[in-house]
Amino acid sequence: VNPSATPETLAPPVEACYVYGIVSRDTTLPDDLRGVGDPAGNARLIPHRRIAALVSNVHTDRPIGTRNDLLGHERVLDRLAAETVVLPMRFGAVLSGPDAVRNELLAPHHDLFATALFEFADSAQFTVKGRYVQDTVLREVLAEQPRLLELREKVRSLPSDASYYDRIRLGELLAQAFAQKRQTDGAQIVDELVRYAIAVSVHEPVTDDGVVDAAFLVEREHFERFERAAEELGKKWAERVRLRLLGPLALYDFVPKE
Amino acid sequence: LTTPTQPRGAYVDRPSSGSLADVVDLILDKGLVIDAYVRVSLVGIELLTIDARIVIAGVDTYLRFAEAAKRLDLGRPDTSGLSDLPSGLPETRAISEAAQDPDEPPVPRQREVVADGTTAGESAQDQASLSGSEERDP
Repeated sequence: VNPSATPETLAPPVEACYVYGIVSRDTTLPDDLRGVGDPAGNARLIPHRRIAALVSNVHTDRPIGTRNDLLGHERVLDRLAAETVVLPMRFGAVLSGPDAVRNELLAPHHDLFATALFEFADSAQFTVKGRYVQDTVLREVLAEQPRLLELREKVRSLPSDASYYDRIRLGELLAQAFAQKRQTDGAQIVDELVRYAIAVSVHEPVTDDGVVDAAFLVEREHFERFERAAEELGKKWAERVRLRLLGPLALYDFVPKE
Repeated sequence: LTTPTQPRGAYVDRPSSGSLADVVDLILDKGLVIDAYVRVSLVGIELLTIDARIVIAGVDTYLRFAEAAKRLDLGRPDTSGLSDLPSGLPETRAISEAAQDPDEPPVPRQREVVADGTTAGESAQDQASLSGSEERDP
C-alpha cells in the first residue's frame, strides 16, 4: 500500500489559466515555452479579435510563488519581449479557464490593450539601474566636506560603543551627501539615454547607494543604438557608477492604466 | 537558456534574464493588475510570494554608511606599498573587531523574501550569485 495515495492525491487536479500578459494576435510563440507551476505548463495564446492572452495551465491545488514560478513568469514574458511587444500582467493572475480569459479579460478591455500594443508596436523596455562605487564616492564626499572627514577620524579613534551617536551622525550626513549626488548624477544618466528612447519612467532607487533606476521604452530598430549608448555611458561613469542594463523586457513600466 | 550573465560589454552588467531580485522588482510591482480588470472568474489560488521588501531607512542606513566610511582606506595618494604598512595593520584589526561586534549584527540592506526560503537582493554581489543558480533551463 502506498501511504502517499491519500484521497487528495487521487482527486483530479483542477486546471486554471495563469495569465502572463497580452500580445498581438499574430504573435508566434517559441516552441516549448515553459511557464509557472509544477509541473510547468507550456505557454499558449488565447486570441480575441486583434489581441491574445499569453497563458499556461496551472493546477489550483498547489500554491504558486516559488522561485521557479517567479523566474518562469519572467522567462515567458521576456522570451517573447525579445521578439515582439508584450504587455505583462503582474505576477499571480489566474483565471478559471479560457472562457473567463476571453470574456472577462480580453473582450471588455480589448480596445485599451489593443491601443497600447499598437501604439508601442515593435518596442520593448530596457531597465537601467546604477549604483555608486561606494568607496569612490565616499572618498569624494569626505574630500568635499572636511567636517565629515573630521567626524570620521573621531569615529575611528573611539571604540564602537563610545562612538555610537557620532557614527549615526556621520552616517546621516553621508546619506544626505549621497542623496544630493544622486539627484544630479541620476538625472544626467537618464538625460543621456532618453534621447534613444520614446518614453522613460524614472523610479527612486531603493538601495542607499543607488544612483538611477529608470525604464526606457525603445523601438526595436533602435535596440542596438540604445545598448551601445548604455555601454558608452557605463564606460564614461565607470569610476563612480556601476550600471546594469536589463532588457529587452516586456513593458512592465508602460502598461496602460484604465 | 544560456549562462546567466552575458558580458556583452565591459562596462555595463547585462544579466541575460535578470537575477531573482530584478525579477521580483519587475513582476511583483509592475504590470497589469488583474484584479482591476477581472472580478468574477478570478481563481483564489494561494500565492506563496510574500512581498516583504523592506527599504531600511534611518539608523540602520546611517550605521552602514558610517561603517563604510570608517573602514575606508584614505591612505595618502603619494605613499605606496611598504610605507602604508604601519598604519595598515591596526586598521585591519579594527575591521575584524567591527565585523564581530556582537551588539551590532549586520543589517541586511534590502530583503526580498519568497516563501520557499529564498532571500534575494541582500547586495549587488548576492544578486550575481543568485542569478547564477542551478535552476535555469539547460
